[in-house]
Amino acid sequence: MRITAKEEYFDEPACEHNGVAKDKKACKTATPGSSTGGCALDGAYIVLSPIKDALNIVHAPINCLGNSYNQRTSETAQRENYYMYGFTTAINENDLIFGSEDKLRQGIIYVFNRFKPKAVFIYNTCVPALTGEDIEGVSKELAAKLKIPVVPVFSQGFSGNKNLGNKIAGDALFTHIIGRKEPEIDLLSDYNINLIGEYNIKGELFLIKKALKKVGINVLSTITGDSTIEEIMYSHKAGLNVVVCSKALIYLARKMKEKYGLPYIEGSFFGLTSTNKTIMDIVNSIGDYELTCSAKKYIKIRTRNTEENIYEYKRFLTGKKALLYTGGVKSWSLISALNDLGMKVIATGVKKSTEEDKLRIKEIDKNGNIIMLDNGNPVNLIKIAREEQVDIILAGGRNQYTAIKSLIPFLDVNQERLNPYTSYEGMEFLAKQIYFELKNPLFKLLKESNINL
Amino acid sequence: MMNPIKNIEINPLKASPSLGAAIFFLGLKNAVVLMHGAVGCASFDKVTLTKHFRENIPIVTTALNEYGAILGGTDFLLSGIKNIYEKMKPDFIGIASSGLTETSGEDIAGIIGDFKEKQGLPFSKLIYAGTPDYKGSLEDGYIQAMLALLEDFSDKEPYKTFKKSKKLTMSVNVFCPVSFTPQDFLELREAIGYFDLKPVMIPDLGLSLDGHLDERGYLQTTADGLGVKDMENIHNSEFNIVIGLSLGSVVKSVSELTGLKTYYFPNVCGLKNSDKLFDLLSELSGKEIPEKYKRQRRQLMDAYLDTHFYFLGKDIALALGIDLLDSFSMIYSEMGANLKVGISTKFSDDIKYRFLNFYEGDLDLLDNYRNVDLIVSNSNAGFYAKDFRIPLLKAGFPLIDEIGHGYKHYILYRGAVNLAVESANLLNKG
Repeated sequence: MRITAKEEYFDEPACEHNGVAKDKKACKTATPGSSTGGCALDGAYIVLSPIKDALNIVHAPINCLGNSYNQRTSETAQRENYYMYGFTTAINENDLIFGSEDKLRQGIIYVFNRFKPKAVFIYNTCVPALTGEDIEGVSKELAAKLKIPVVPVFSQGFSGNKNLGNKIAGDALFTHIIGRKEPEIDLLSDYNINLIGEYNIKGELFLIKKALKKVGINVLSTITGDSTIEEIMYSHKAGLNVVVCSKALIYLARKMKEKYGLPYIEGSFFGLTSTNKTIMDIVNSIGDYELTCSAKKYIKIRTRNTEENIYEYKRFLTGKKALLYTGGVKSWSLISALNDLGMKVIATGVKKSTEEDKLRIKEIDKNGNIIMLDNGNPVNLIKIAREEQVDIILAGGRNQYTAIKSLIPFLDVNQERLNPYTSYEGMEFLAKQIYFELKNPLFKLLKESNINL
Repeated sequence: MMNPIKNIEINPLKASPSLGAAIFFLGLKNAVVLMHGAVGCASFDKVTLTKHFRENIPIVTTALNEYGAILGGTDFLLSGIKNIYEKMKPDFIGIASSGLTETSGEDIAGIIGDFKEKQGLPFSKLIYAGTPDYKGSLEDGYIQAMLALLEDFSDKEPYKTFKKSKKLTMSVNVFCPVSFTPQDFLELREAIGYFDLKPVMIPDLGLSLDGHLDERGYLQTTADGLGVKDMENIHNSEFNIVIGLSLGSVVKSVSELTGLKTYYFPNVCGLKNSDKLFDLLSELSGKEIPEKYKRQRRQLMDAYLDTHFYFLGKDIALALGIDLLDSFSMIYSEMGANLKVGISTKFSDDIKYRFLNFYEGDLDLLDNYRNVDLIVSNSNAGFYAKDFRIPLLKAGFPLIDEIGHGYKHYILYRGAVNLAVESANLLNKG
């Protein structure tokens, strides 16, 4: 029975952060008394739940799922989708005393019979991990009986944060799903890639796929936006892995490289510059002359087209100052997106960024003008925003009220964003949203009215 | 061939007691909630509450890691308390435990008691609610927090000796259920104020989470709510009013801890029960019922008449927490609506007679009622309503996919008008 997280999760040769901290455990501690992000369960659930023909059962007391399900969105091309469903064993006092393995077993069998899923993910959580329930045993037994993958996910929250959860989910896919099937021949084209870490928030995946298709690149599997278990099973047959969101899923890409010899690159589709660069990185990795020509041609047309469409917005936004507080890849990829709009990024949050993310920031910010914010304390954010006379804060939903209560314009760029911000269309959405937010007379009105009558 | 038993929650209606305790603590002024558990315990709750109330929610975590989970969380808890104190100096630190910290079997109450005795914090009150997530529901956690707060202030006896003589306004302590919207709190406060009584709402989610732009801008703690001073004076109030089916079990404790006469209402919704409340307020204050409410009473009678046609022959399914289920079914029953099924997180003999079917369970039970004409439930029922093409009246917790629920109210005469009208319009559309 595994209670502690695998040591391996904290050893990431592909990450330049590796070995920086002597005590690797330092990477996973949070300060008591602070407001932090989610736990390992949160991270694992985010990665696995978009798979539309699998079910996710959280083996836990009611709080782990009951307090928070049905909140993230992941678009899907088909209607049939269990993403909105929340399943939990809702461990109660009796279960704690007598054990809840039977309850879990019955639960899995029930949902299997009723929903006919292609796979079931079982999330272990703090309480059953402490009482030492054999989730792995139940999973093995039922996988044999039901003849579908029943995958244990060791995501107990005390093991670590959301990033660790991403890794744990990646490991679950690698161990139990990937490589279990070969793709039908007609699914493969000349150039096949996988997108790792793309969850199709607001249909962002569809925009990325559209652009790649025009260039001539086939997305064989997406891990995991709008995906099926089957497509993840045969994802090892792609020619290249493109890791687009979380640094944490580099773990999965590296494992796939070791086992299947599948190379990987990292990229981002936020903003014109990033989108163009990522497309070129992909075609360069593939190394086909014709594909490269086609990509260059496509990029040229789309860039010109997008620049025309955002011209008016850009004219207004040029020189405006932004404060960025988001995690991982977005901490640098959005900088280049904002620079594409002529905006100046005053500061960016790096609390959830890796050393490599920080290097990328430095690459973009050659003069070293951008403040790297290690402290996500809202009071600190507001202080900097005020001192630097920032025009807008771009961050996640949890900072929305920090900004607007202080009468500073705001745009949500995390999972609750209102629009897709990837690829060429996403650039237009981003420009438009920031433009209208900054043009809005409301903030001026409220600042003038913010006196007690 | 295989066991068809459904021994799993599919789309739970239930939320955990720690979340209930957190909601209670958010009704205190200048307060911070400390969740004693892994980081997720605080984070999940914070996300949901932020979306529900559309406000900044000051919840922080003790961030228990695997060493803490196995070897004990005392250090995490105490350093959490100290860090909050240093950074924010709140009046209240409301502490709720979790499944994780309760399973490891530490005596959290003892640890906090010890800390208070030996060291304490000069400016902050530490209120601890034991809320193991595997035991009870949202309502139970809210009650735990309520009792913990009362116990903390129950030793203020000396005030009683020189009470009543110099007072200009009579105070009344009001205990409302977790189902009250911020606007419900404000409406009740206003109504009581009309009788020249000063309401002390315990807690006061109306003042803290009604969504007002504070002139101080962003704050790390709750901006407003029930203050320490208010709590210190609760023994000087004239009497207690306790509202809510779920609070039935605490009436005795509330009465004992405050030393005051206590009046109990399972709900203050609909014509009859609103009448009862206004009669009581009138009797105890010696003031006549204000014209405003006499008018609203007549308006409600008229609204019942106007809207009842839309309910004829229609079936309603309700999936709500026990307090709101009681409140809404009360109003619907007065109008003669047909309540096909009531689903809640708890069984209640007191109200089951209002429904053709009554279950304790999850939202998935709605799957058996695909032919009703209206569903009344929270955002998580949206999926079913859409699937069955049945209109959904969104109420309860959580309400995360629409904005503005904090401004709605369903108590007293006007609240019943709101429910009758909103339901009728949805039935008419469906």
